[in-house]
Amino acid sequence: MNPSAHTPAGQPVSAEAVFRVRNLGKVYGTGHAAVRALAGVDLDLHAGELVVLLGASGSGKSTLLNLLGGLDSPTEGHLHYRGWNLGHAAEAALTRYRREAVGFVFQFYNLIPSLTARENVALITEIARNPMAPAEALAMVGLTPRADHFPAQLSGGEQQRVAIARAIAKRPEVLLCDEPTGALDVHTGITVLEAIQRINRELGTLTVVITHNAVLAEMADRVFTLSDGRIQNSHTNSTRRSVTELAW
Amino acid sequence: MSLLDLKLLRDLRALKSQALAVALVMACGLAMMIMTRSLILSLDTARTGYYERHRFAEVFSSLKRAPKSVAAQIAALPGVAAVEASVAMQVTLDIPGMAEPATGLINSLPDRREPILNRPYLRTGRLPGPGARNEALVSEAFSDAHHLRPGDSISAILNGRKVTLRIAGIVLSPQFVFEAAPGAALPDNRSFGVFWMREEELAEAFNLEGAFNTVALTLAPGASERAVIAAVDRVLEPFGSLGAHGRKDHPSDVRVTDEIRVLKGLSFGFPLVFLSVAAFMTNAVMGRQIALQREQIAILKAFGFTNRQIGLHFVKFALVIVVTGTLAGVFGGWLLGRKLVDMYLLFFRFPALDFQLATGALVAAALASSAAALVGVIGAVRRVAALSPAEAMRPEPPASFRPAFFERIGVARWFGVSFRMSLRNIERKPVQAALTCAALALATGILVIPNSFRDGINHILNFQWDVSQRQTVTLSLVEPGPLRALADFRSLPGVVHAESFRSVPVELRTGSRSRRLAVSGIPADSHLARVIDANDRRIILPPQGVVLSKALADNLGLKPGDSVILRVLQGKRPERSVPVVALAEDFAGVAAYMDMEALNRLLGEGDRLSGARLTVAAGRWSEFLSAVKNTPQSAGVVVKEAVRASFRRTTAESIGLIQMIYLTFATAVAFGIVYNSARISLSERARELATLRVLGFTRGEVGSVLVGELVILTLVALPAGLVLGSFMAKAILVSVNTETVRLPLILTPSNYAFAVLVVATATAFSAALACRRLNQLDLVGALKAID
Repeated sequence: MNPSAHTPAGQPVSAEAVFRVRNLGKVYGTGHAAVRALAGVDLDLHAGELVVLLGASGSGKSTLLNLLGGLDSPTEGHLHYRGWNLGHAAEAALTRYRREAVGFVFQFYNLIPSLTARENVALITEIARNPMAPAEALAMVGLTPRADHFPAQLSGGEQQRVAIARAIAKRPEVLLCDEPTGALDVHTGITVLEAIQRINRELGTLTVVITHNAVLAEMADRVFTLSDGRIQNSHTNSTRRSVTELAW
Repeated sequence: MSLLDLKLLRDLRALKSQALAVALVMACGLAMMIMTRSLILSLDTARTGYYERHRFAEVFSSLKRAPKSVAAQIAALPGVAAVEASVAMQVTLDIPGMAEPATGLINSLPDRREPILNRPYLRTGRLPGPGARNEALVSEAFSDAHHLRPGDSISAILNGRKVTLRIAGIVLSPQFVFEAAPGAALPDNRSFGVFWMREEELAEAFNLEGAFNTVALTLAPGASERAVIAAVDRVLEPFGSLGAHGRKDHPSDVRVTDEIRVLKGLSFGFPLVFLSVAAFMTNAVMGRQIALQREQIAILKAFGFTNRQIGLHFVKFALVIVVTGTLAGVFGGWLLGRKLVDMYLLFFRFPALDFQLATGALVAAALASSAAALVGVIGAVRRVAALSPAEAMRPEPPASFRPAFFERIGVARWFGVSFRMSLRNIERKPVQAALTCAALALATGILVIPNSFRDGINHILNFQWDVSQRQTVTLSLVEPGPLRALADFRSLPGVVHAESFRSVPVELRTGSRSRRLAVSGIPADSHLARVIDANDRRIILPPQGVVLSKALADNLGLKPGDSVILRVLQGKRPERSVPVVALAEDFAGVAAYMDMEALNRLLGEGDRLSGARLTVAAGRWSEFLSAVKNTPQSAGVVVKEAVRASFRRTTAESIGLIQMIYLTFATAVAFGIVYNSARISLSERARELATLRVLGFTRGEVGSVLVGELVILTLVALPAGLVLGSFMAKAILVSVNTETVRLPLILTPSNYAFAVLVVATATAFSAALACRRLNQLDLVGALKAID
């Protein structure tokens, strides 16, 4: 199944769930060595939402994000992306899914050190179907003056903002952020989160942020708290707070 | 087993294919070195033992005829230990089942005693009885070529009289370890053989009773060979001596010496290249491994392990690779050496040629490889050891890049992103890139060498023989005859064209250097024997002066325009100073050419010829051959195609075998280098590549990023490698070319294309193997760990 059929870029917010997750589970290893990372997770994620997954180390939040991002396959349950069974997709289809539908932001930025900021973004726009110009993506994260610098010449926050520009330049339907501020100080973290929030607001991209920092919960539409591989608690904010209003 | 050793084993298991690639390259170098050094040892040992046991003489001379009393005079000369005077005559043979006549050299055996010197080794059968008639011993090379057994008979024309000789035994002789017709550069065991008969019968047939025409002697301990040769020459001068010479000019011994020289050349150049590449690869692998284990090393140090213990751990790592390579190399060298020893028995007839492993070379090579590997390891360990544990436990700072040179000069817009990444990577680590490039260039270069040998042989086989020697057959007379003999040759059935030639033994002298050989007199307008220069142009022999083969001119230190003293060693023995007018390019032996009329004028014996070159109509070939067999005055028949076939069968085949071995090794090395480079690149960039996969790049796209750098380096290395290979081929040819056989340096487009194809294939194949490992990239893990 072609995931792109379900992800025309810039599609408006729809009531239909982008992800439908039912009884999702993931077990690593077998027999005595088996480790249950995720068990019986149910949730629906909708277009335009900003969702925060909270949890301590080993709670299963990264496993859930990896499954949503097509980096791994579940061992049980159902995982549907726009009606397409992501849980049973083949390797090549997952690659295409990541390429066309998902933007990733990682804790350690994962920029290509031999490419400038602009080129790191262009790397993705070259293979995307309907990308924005790299300069436009960099402008959205406020990095226009630093576009021609190499990662080694950028601060941590700047590097993370390049990573965000790279993730959104393809106009993905989903933006997955794995501890995006984990390696940053508070002040720098704020600029990064502002960029994420702005992207979500202006592009309407379903954004999932995982963090162990409970403060971030208030910037989300919905918050899920994970523990022992299960969703222990879910909460919907009546109003989203701006990043600068959060109590750091 | 200590836990560090357990770690070592597990690390090795994880790195096994790279470790094997390095060990393979090392094994190739060592195998070649051990093979060649062992062959040298085997040949040298066999030769020394054989010469001693069978009392091979040290000084030799041929003459026209001298009474036996002269031998006693020679024996009495100071410095002479033992003398053997005998009779040796060249005859025409009629071998059953062979259309063309063959040539035999019959030597005399003393009638009532064992030979003092040059004793034959009896392989099968028995010696002819004392005073036996019509019995002969035959050399093993000739009997093998004709499947002759003791009891078989052959016909020979002894001084115009046809006799049937019964074969009593099959022998070897230290004088004929390499058995080729006198003056012939290449062996043809079908058309030339060596025989022994009792002296009385042989001397009687050639009217040499109580006389001898060849003498061999050994030197007393401490005697000067030079002084003895001079004294022997003085004694024999009145008897038509062709001049005495030592072992170093003995036609058989010189071939064994030459072969050893060739092997010595090969035992150095090739292995040096291979072992250098292996050392570089070990360093690259170990350097990368140590960089990857930076944090582990820091932890070990934090726990109290000393730099020495950690260093030793990695040294052991390198040693496992070296030991594996050495063991494989020794085994390969031993296996190939044994095979080649069998092949050498085709050329060199020793009673036994046992393979002997050159253990000294082996130890030296293993030590050299270990040392080269250790230098790299110690350097890398020192860099890590210099860091404090706390600093080393922190990840390495991010690599800093800048726009590549090509971008700075403004041509970047033509390149894609992944190409730019590759360029910047190369520029960031210029030393590593240069070394990889050099290794790839070496891989390309070493592929050029063996094929240039093959092309050189083909050149000799197909070009030189057809261009310079166009006769079908060469007939020589027992004694130089009058010009009308040419008319007799011309009247043989089927002869289309006939050209006379004159061959005269001479000494060429300039300053303190001198050389004895036969000067060839050929008609100035010869169509059949053409003298060719280095540019493949025909040299027209002028009415004055001499044309020398380049090898001879080099040997004597002469160039065109110089003069050389030419002393004739027979007849009236005239001596003249003649100008060197040109240099000829040929591939075997040494030669001097003169216009035949000029040579005859110099000799002052009137117009005479030594033989004739003939072209014969193909349809009347057998008719021609049977007529020649019954021509009493003809002493030698050389059929060009037979010589060429023999060359193809023996020399070409053996060089071909060595070429195949080297080519296989060169190919293996090319694969090893490329694969290793790709793997190192993969390990260095695993995180970057995993990121690209996560971002939605397909395996193919990530693969192209991975191999882009390798492709660029290969593209740079290929032309450099071709140039390097051409130089290496030239250097190796110069080192292995001998006076007896010289391969021309022939570099063909197909040779270059082959080298490029192999390295390109190796690159593609290794890249594909490395790309397969992209499947094993830990996508999630790469996002977590910073390095």
